[in-house]
Amino acid sequence: MNPFVRRSHLQISVLNQEEVLSSWKHKADAIVLDITDGAGLAARQQARELVRGSIAPASKGGGEVLVRISKEALFADVKAALWPGVKGIICPSLETAADVRELDEALLEAEKEHGIPRGSTEVLVLLDSGKGIWNVREIIAASSRLSTVGLEESSLYRHMEIMPDASFDPLVYAKGRIIVEAVAAKVHPIGVAHPYGIMPGFDNPQEIHRLALRGKNMGFKGAICLHPSWVEPCNRAYAPAADQIDYFKTVRATFAEAVARGTAATPYPGTTQMIDVPVDERARIMLELWEMVQSREADKASALSKAAE
Amino acid sequence: MPRRVRRSGLMMPINNPRFVNNSWRRNCDSLDFDLEDSVPQSQKEYARSLVKQVIPIGLMGGADVSVRINTATPEADIAASAWPGMGRIAHPKTESAQRIREVDALITKYERLRGIRVGAIEVTAMIESALGVSNGYDIASASPRVKAFGGGGGYDMSLDMGVDMFVGFNQFVYSAGECELVARALGKEFSISVHMTDTSGSVSDAEATYLRAVANRKAGGRSGGGLHPNVVEPSNRGLTPPPEEVDQARRVLSAYEEVQRRGDAEGELNGQVIDAYEAARAAELIDWSRLCAEKDAFKEQKRREAEGLQPQPTAR
Repeated sequence: MNPFVRRSHLQISVLNQEEVLSSWKHKADAIVLDITDGAGLAARQQARELVRGSIAPASKGGGEVLVRISKEALFADVKAALWPGVKGIICPSLETAADVRELDEALLEAEKEHGIPRGSTEVLVLLDSGKGIWNVREIIAASSRLSTVGLEESSLYRHMEIMPDASFDPLVYAKGRIIVEAVAAKVHPIGVAHPYGIMPGFDNPQEIHRLALRGKNMGFKGAICLHPSWVEPCNRAYAPAADQIDYFKTVRATFAEAVARGTAATPYPGTTQMIDVPVDERARIMLELWEMVQSREADKASALSKAAE
Repeated sequence: MPRRVRRSGLMMPINNPRFVNNSWRRNCDSLDFDLEDSVPQSQKEYARSLVKQVIPIGLMGGADVSVRINTATPEADIAASAWPGMGRIAHPKTESAQRIREVDALITKYERLRGIRVGAIEVTAMIESALGVSNGYDIASASPRVKAFGGGGGYDMSLDMGVDMFVGFNQFVYSAGECELVARALGKEFSISVHMTDTSGSVSDAEATYLRAVANRKAGGRSGGGLHPNVVEPSNRGLTPPPEEVDQARRVLSAYEEVQRRGDAEGELNGQVIDAYEAARAAELIDWSRLCAEKDAFKEQKRREAEGLQPQPTAR
């Protein structure tokens, strides 16, 4: 996968058309149209039918549109919900490479039927079983469509018969494993730090930001936002902080001077912290990521101002 | 296989004559000369030309000598490094077993050519990226020269993961844990670094180093390293069992012998359960303490010899 910025995935039920119509206003990097929220077959059918008309309003703010389906109805969901303008499909509960290939086949058919470039639809998987987490490496490797991997914590707790408890995180290993395997394969791991993966709060932007930032420092690149209040703190947390930019610039300049003097290890001005190749390289990458974030923000700002006209 | 004692290490750019010429006086268990990240590109070739003459300087104080090579130039770096006296060649940012097999073959070639027993030079496969962690088991299994294994943390790892260092929690629980598990599963020595929340990133903080070394020892770690001479003594001290712990271990062992003489499986010593598990722990501690004392005596003897006869410093 080429590097991309997708910090906030604002998830809304497509059945709630009022929310769909205002979804573009929250400045999310992506809007997830969830077709699995209703109860029963009739609701699912209605949700599938609503997707096509929801793409334009959802994307008015420059956010990418994703559709959340379920594994049990994988083929029917994909064929009914994949239309031009849908960037990717989010599917929970996949457990093996064969599951991913099945989704890949459904996407190939739907892309062909609806005139979408072959192979252009991304796959985002949310793992929710011990088996899926154990097989994360083969799941990621199973399709070049795969862009993102996360956990669906509530189902995972059920599978593992764990009682949610805010005071400790029973998923340290699972999170570490999907983060390491995703980063190794150059796809995005997404998630937030405990307890908001299982006991999310929606009215405290500072706490949302703190746990998203902690998530970023675990290795996550973005998060599913279950409420619009998550979008702004997540956009901030999963990007280099504005106050780090000067630090990274000083690192680069100090290191360049040191290299010119003939040494590749030098202290950061006024400290005993050592700058060497990885520290300089990190500063370079962070400044590049900062540029990508700025360009993403500019795209969204221009879409927003167009929408407001 | 005798256990190596490497409680302290100093990594230094090999092209810095001040660091190199004084290195043997630092009382390090291991001296790690760097050809990689602390040496600028323009000086790589000059740095390679120094390895052969630096080895005897490092050995003067009784330390093991190692060199860290570049991922981009393994052939030239190994040709420059595989000389008699070299203890270990460290390959940074290791991501595949194939790379370690190539490094192994290159070292074998020069061992044969240069009159070194094949297999004498160890390889450290440094794990500093997610892909390295993911392939850890294959990498550690790739060569019998890999005697110790560990990693999955540090600046390069944070770079690869896109995380900040020093954020107040351990971002490397999984990655470092995987590496440690791999080492234990394959029966290799392992290096660990227990997470400490108060880290400032200072490379010269003696007190923090000592506390970390003690924590590492209690968690089963036996090796240390560093970038500044200040951290050598606290590393050595923190990873060496203090006399009171050795005495206690001796009491546990003799109490366990008594338990066995009685034909029991467990007994008690001042409220502590004495069983096979506790006895094995005590025996390991006594053994480690003895090895540390032997290493200290060896370094002392080497230093005394060297102070009578110092070789020419490296030219610059």
